[in-house]
Amino acid sequence: MIVVPSWIQRAVERGIVTSRYPDRAATADEVPATGRGPCPPHGSEGLRPGAGDCPVEAISPDGVDQGRCIRCARCLPAGFAFSGPVEASVAVRAELISPTLVPAASRRESAPLRPLGCSLHVFLVDVGSCNACNLEVMALANPYYDVSRLGVFFTNSPRHADVLLVVGVPTPEMVEPLKRAFEAMPDPKAVVAVGACPISGGAFAGTPGLAAGLSELIPVDRFVPGCPPPPVAVIDAIVALGGRARAPEEG
Amino acid sequence: MHDPGERALAYAAEDGSFALYNDYRSGKAVLVPVAADPSSSELATLWRTHSGPERPHSLAPAPRVEGYGVFTFPYGPISMGVPESGKFDVRTYGERILGLVPVGGFKSRRIRESVVGLDVRDAALRIERMAGNVSASHAAAFLAAAESAAGREVATVELWIRGLAQELQRIYNHVHVLARIAEAASQNVGLAQSHALAEELLRLQGATFGHRWLFGALLPGGPARALDAPGRATVAREAVRLSREFDQLWALFLESRTFIDRIQTTGPVRRDDAIRWGAVGPTLRACGVDWDDRLRVPTVPYTDLFVSLPREDGGDALARLSVRAEEVRASFLLVEQMLDRWPAAVATVGPAAPPVAPHRGVARVEAPSGDLVYDVRLDGDRVAGLGFRSPSQANWALFARGMRDAVFTDFHFAFESFGLLFAETDG
Repeated sequence: MIVVPSWIQRAVERGIVTSRYPDRAATADEVPATGRGPCPPHGSEGLRPGAGDCPVEAISPDGVDQGRCIRCARCLPAGFAFSGPVEASVAVRAELISPTLVPAASRRESAPLRPLGCSLHVFLVDVGSCNACNLEVMALANPYYDVSRLGVFFTNSPRHADVLLVVGVPTPEMVEPLKRAFEAMPDPKAVVAVGACPISGGAFAGTPGLAAGLSELIPVDRFVPGCPPPPVAVIDAIVALGGRARAPEEG
Repeated sequence: MHDPGERALAYAAEDGSFALYNDYRSGKAVLVPVAADPSSSELATLWRTHSGPERPHSLAPAPRVEGYGVFTFPYGPISMGVPESGKFDVRTYGERILGLVPVGGFKSRRIRESVVGLDVRDAALRIERMAGNVSASHAAAFLAAAESAAGREVATVELWIRGLAQELQRIYNHVHVLARIAEAASQNVGLAQSHALAEELLRLQGATFGHRWLFGALLPGGPARALDAPGRATVAREAVRLSREFDQLWALFLESRTFIDRIQTTGPVRRDDAIRWGAVGPTLRACGVDWDDRLRVPTVPYTDLFVSLPREDGGDALARLSVRAEEVRASFLLVEQMLDRWPAAVATVGPAAPPVAPHRGVARVEAPSGDLVYDVRLDGDRVAGLGFRSPSQANWALFARGMRDAVFTDFHFAFESFGLLFAETDG
């Protein structure tokens, strides 16, 4: 006979699992490296030359376009991986093109939606995703990330939303629903492109009929690179829009 | 003479050159080289609509429901109740669902067309993003079909890596379904604890395969190749801990009368409907039919391992969830067996099946929601044509039938219990 602890007993035994991000830096569990170890800087011997090998043409003489990169690690020799910092959302698309695989540390901040740093309501729109980004955004509600501690809440209608989180590569069928959701939002409002797909088309870039990015359709205030981005990177974007961004303490 | 009532269509090639059937009496898969005429089969026609160029399109036959005050209530394509974009046309007079037609095609990234001309390595990057939460199943089926088409030998350890990835992802998906149903039932403590368990499973996948969603993990050169004995022991230890967590959670959910009330008799599927409409996976096994690709069309590593076959007879959401819970336990045991008997890296085996036609291979794997079929034609190393039938495609019609005469509040319980994904339907 197995003795099963009660819900409360289990909760007490497990204790608090919630992340301290963004007050503290993200832990290794929260930002698993893609691949096998730290990444060498662009142009160093570690990075395999020949942009032709990159399936999404993210590598150019200017550097690596984080908005295109899908983290397939094909450009990296065995033993290396992506492990950039996760405070990786940016306000300007061009800032995603950096000379190293790590996005530039000096980022332009977004003007906060609400000057006093009020709570934010977010609404998720999927315009043609593989579900990984949807689930990473939904993970923000789980006990490990629990964004309600930051005054961030999911809402069920764009009419109640301050922030639109868009995942996926825009398909022709979703253009109209997306625009209508955006128009239904009250001002002030902001749009976050979550993942490589809404930034550049990601793994599907170049497919005839698909939009090459969300910016073609609606104005984007914040870009979160990754395929998919880790939940902490999405938190970074929302917190930046909420006017609460501050440098995390180490530890 | 076979009894047509025990034979279900599993896949119909779009060019009509062959069809695959499951014979549930003998437990054998039957390949009919030239299908009599797939256009005559209602089911083959329905599946062809899913992959056709017309978007959006119905995913299940539309019932004719008329009467005083009956109207069509459109739900979607953007709705927070369903985490993906897809629409449901609900025929109702305001309270009861008289008929429901799922409408798909909104999320189509044109993968079926866009991989043609790419080499297998590049195509696999798009195939694994067909549906990120079941990426391992899609990648494994696609790679196996391509190997069969090319007649290429594969390292045994590669097949074991695919098996390990699929079992871990099956556990994650089943726990995710449990969390979604707990959310629909407003079981907030249960939701938080199962949601936390799902996150821990993602972290285990991330630590083992270098990616939380296993992207790139099944392609040559992924990090799991470096799984040495201490690494395997770490994964095994974590699996044992998570398995115990799940057992506790499931036992607590079963004790909650309000939780069981919401899923018992919800979204019922009759056994003969399941066979006629080609149901797969937990949906089929919850109707008392014994079919699991890991046992019926086994490939390495399952040929060497003990695979149990949980089954229920209720056909409702509770039966489907019970099958999933048993499968979580079975998958944890499979993970344990695999890590225990990990093969040496040098051995190779031939492709799982001979090509069905020159340069054309078919492969089937048991994805978390059921049988997944890939049909790949190659031209050298490049993809010349792609066909697939995902478990979601097969189960839409059963979900639509199960919703007849339900009330609106049943919707999410039924929907989540089938594990349906628009992403892998739209392609």
